[in-house]
Amino acid sequence: MAAPMRCILRGRLCWVRGMWRCQKAAYTEDARKETHFGFQTVSEEEKGEKVYRVFENVAHNYDIMNDAMSLGVHRFWKDWLLQLMKPTPGMQLLDVAGGTGDIAFRFINYIRAQREKWIRQELKLQQDLSWPDISKTYQNKEQSSLMGSRAVICDINKEMLRVGLQKSLRLGYSEGLSWVAGDAEELPFDDDKFDVYTIAFGIRNVTHIEQALQEAYRVLKPGGRFLCLEFSQVNNPMLSKLYDIYSFQVIPVLGEVIAGDWKSYQYLVESIRRFPSQEEFKALIEDVGFCKVNYHNLTNGVVAVHSGFKL
Amino acid sequence: MAASVARVLKAAGGRQLLLMVARRRPVLRQPFLLMPRKFWGTSALRSEDQKQPPFSSTSAHAGTPEHAEEQYQQQQPPPRYTDQAGEESEGYESEEQLQQRILSAALQFVPDFGWSADAIAEGAKSLDMSAAAAGMFEDGGSELVLHFVTQCNSQLTELLEEEQKLVQLGTSEKKPTTQFLRDAVEARLRMHIPYIEQWPQALGMLLLPRNIPSSLKLLTAMVDDIWHYAGDQSTDVSWYTRRAVLTGIYNTTELVMLQDSSPDFEDTWKFLENRISEAMTMGTSVKQVASTGEAVIQGLMGAAVTLKNLTGLNQRR
Repeated sequence: MAAPMRCILRGRLCWVRGMWRCQKAAYTEDARKETHFGFQTVSEEEKGEKVYRVFENVAHNYDIMNDAMSLGVHRFWKDWLLQLMKPTPGMQLLDVAGGTGDIAFRFINYIRAQREKWIRQELKLQQDLSWPDISKTYQNKEQSSLMGSRAVICDINKEMLRVGLQKSLRLGYSEGLSWVAGDAEELPFDDDKFDVYTIAFGIRNVTHIEQALQEAYRVLKPGGRFLCLEFSQVNNPMLSKLYDIYSFQVIPVLGEVIAGDWKSYQYLVESIRRFPSQEEFKALIEDVGFCKVNYHNLTNGVVAVHSGFKL
Repeated sequence: MAASVARVLKAAGGRQLLLMVARRRPVLRQPFLLMPRKFWGTSALRSEDQKQPPFSSTSAHAGTPEHAEEQYQQQQPPPRYTDQAGEESEGYESEEQLQQRILSAALQFVPDFGWSADAIAEGAKSLDMSAAAAGMFEDGGSELVLHFVTQCNSQLTELLEEEQKLVQLGTSEKKPTTQFLRDAVEARLRMHIPYIEQWPQALGMLLLPRNIPSSLKLLTAMVDDIWHYAGDQSTDVSWYTRRAVLTGIYNTTELVMLQDSSPDFEDTWKFLENRISEAMTMGTSVKQVASTGEAVIQGLMGAAVTLKNLTGLNQRR
């Protein structure tokens, strides 16, 4: 019963992909096609380069700046994303634009905790284990403490990946992580490979959002989940005013003081304003073919988590 | 007596019950409208049946649990318990149907993983889908339990409908109401046997405040269906009392079953039989008490009038 539907969807996807090839050709012909970079209007090629330069500049202070700008709240947002994801051992995660590995590390921790829970439950069920059984559980533990789970971190920016890799070594994450340099619009992975696709504070910087979403759809297994954590629109008018003041008056200053970089953080707040609202973005996700798309606002819509399934 | 029952019902959220009744009505009426002849046929059969001795019931009962098991294996697409009806076209599986399929597949993992999102994830895997699909069910365990109850209820309805058809065709005899109720409740409870270890957990989930509306709806619908196929046509207060009594019996038997360690839950079925026969005798004695009460009151009134006449208080001048 599911097979015909999948065929239909896949057929549609192929057709859609054919479409963008045409579009791409059109772009190369008319290289001056314009897009936005913050509040500026630039050509599409230029945007890619500019974004690359921004993140090259901020990579080293990325984590400190995140803490400073969000007053540490970004940690809760990321934790919340993981709570929504509820990873189970054996899952394959693709974290796009996950340069410094925040989501991937949380994923690994969650899987480990989940596995501990399973083992504890198993021990509770069979309290009188024989010694060989007990030794067997230890052997299994050494073999695969993640039970086949893997987190692949894909980022277009090599500088961000380098910072993330160093961080993983420092924090002692030795297994279950892969670092891949790749473009969200042309992922270097086969079809139907991952259980979960996450993109946290990344899709805003992608030049063609639809294309990135189509790639997400392609690499997910049937039943796989798309999760996107991104700044969004604040619904409350009062808070919205405050938020605007904070964004435009405080964040670039913080950037200048802590990271010595005003322009990059100016771009950050501007790009947030240019990103589609919750409902618009939801429609974009649905257009690509995802089912059961919904979103949750966190902190009054400062950020929103969008979720969709490939069925 | 009847008036007091009505008052009690009104006090105990009678309005909600009425609402539920109102909602159930169209469903109840559907068979009446579709096949009126069939319905009258059953009522005629029933009145004949009441004259027959109670032990004339056939051995159809012995076959029912097996039958239930068989149907259980088939995993028919069950009705949804939410009201969001998706458009369904042929050859295309809606999201809703896919979700139901995942939940049905997840049931086989309940003995190992309990009523949890983990079981749903395993179910999705068994359908060659990603374990992440379990995330579609925001409240994983509860949705699994509600799905299971819905499925059991529809199986019971099918079972009862088939039995009714057999009765109509004349291949089997109509059971007396006591026997019918007992068999129906037993068939329904037997569906819990594969999950009996996890059933306390499921009961707990069904009683969570957020699940109470749907679980109560499912329970009342089931009891309603049983009474419908038992041929109940009451339109007075006994409509409520019948359903209330059967609900009580079902729930207590369900609890007894959890504690039962006898082979094939014999004690539970004995308990069930006793409760149903008690309820039946209670029904008749209530009627008797009511009629005796009326007679006594009339007698007393008569005595009072006579006394008045004797003492001359009734004289008018």
